[in-house]
Amino acid sequence: MRSGKDTLEATYLEMRQRALSLAADMDRLERAAGGLDLLNDDPGIAKLKKALAVVTDGKSGRAARVQMIFSDVTPPPSRSKRSESSRSS
Amino acid sequence: MKLIDPHIHCVSRTTDDYQFMARCGVVAVSEPAFWAGFDRSSASAFADYFRQLTDVEPKRAARYGIDHYCWLCINAKEAENVSLSREVIQLIPPLLDHPRVLGIGEIGLNKNTRNEITIFEEQVDLAARTNQLILIHTPHLEDKHKGTSIIVDILKNDRRISPGRVLIDHCEEHTIRLAKEAGFWCGLTIYPVTKVTPQRGVDILEAFGTEMICVNSASDWGDSHPAMLVDTALEFGRRGHSATEIEKVFYNNPCEFFGQSAKWKLKAENAS
Repeated sequence: MRSGKDTLEATYLEMRQRALSLAADMDRLERAAGGLDLLNDDPGIAKLKKALAVVTDGKSGRAARVQMIFSDVTPPPSRSKRSESSRSS
Repeated sequence: MKLIDPHIHCVSRTTDDYQFMARCGVVAVSEPAFWAGFDRSSASAFADYFRQLTDVEPKRAARYGIDHYCWLCINAKEAENVSLSREVIQLIPPLLDHPRVLGIGEIGLNKNTRNEITIFEEQVDLAARTNQLILIHTPHLEDKHKGTSIIVDILKNDRRISPGRVLIDHCEEHTIRLAKEAGFWCGLTIYPVTKVTPQRGVDILEAFGTEMICVNSASDWGDSHPAMLVDTALEFGRRGHSATEIEKVFYNNPCEFFGQSAKWKLKAENAS
């Protein structure tokens, strides 16, 4: 596996590009009609802000934790009697 | 470099894609039955689709030197229609002896509804009764973690199912542990935007190891490309992994999983 220094050198420009791209996305949204309200209130944007906080919080497992911010965490649907019986066969 | 794309929807791809894959060293593919981008109106449409998978695509692939295998099922999205699904499931058993059919797949969940779960369980039951390999589709985006949890629970609770004969596909950073710790094979799908990128795919290989993991392009009618498989193999090599390790992930592992079916003819390289 490559060293940290080599990994950073290999990916830094892409990381910079991704940060700039997201910044420009936010600017574009802000300039659009009604965009400023969305930046403040939209649930999807709120999740993005949480995700960005995870990226820079210094703790490991960032990708998996960001994935969970964008995941449905409600309980599964209740099961039918038929389903329960077929599972135990 | 010989490669296998263990999950690709050739019915949605052009002859240029076959030619591209052949040039890149892809020697075999497996094509699960899936949602074609529209809901079909009758079971007879699926009968035609299954003929396309079992007879038409193998011939088309062979023209480019690619060995084509397939899987049959009603997919998770159209499984919301329970009566249609049951008609389609009845079409499957007579086709299971076809020399190109590796098993039941890609079955799973889409929006994690009760109907989807019912049909998923009925197809798991079919696979168990007929001793078929299983290829699992896990949901997209925000539904993935919940759906993968439900699927893993159902499979673990069915004593007839051997985890080593099931591949849980479209795993990502937050779901691969669920599948791997339960002993299932895992699939990583490399997409430009909506699943795992080549870089993240290699991150997962480095974090979780290369045992019982297959990488695929799942190229279909949407934003996807067979090049994603090759790009991931190249990224794996660029990070210093050896030709032997590349061969293991991108050729030997699919051979090992699919080779549990006597119909799969390719052999792992340097296998003892």
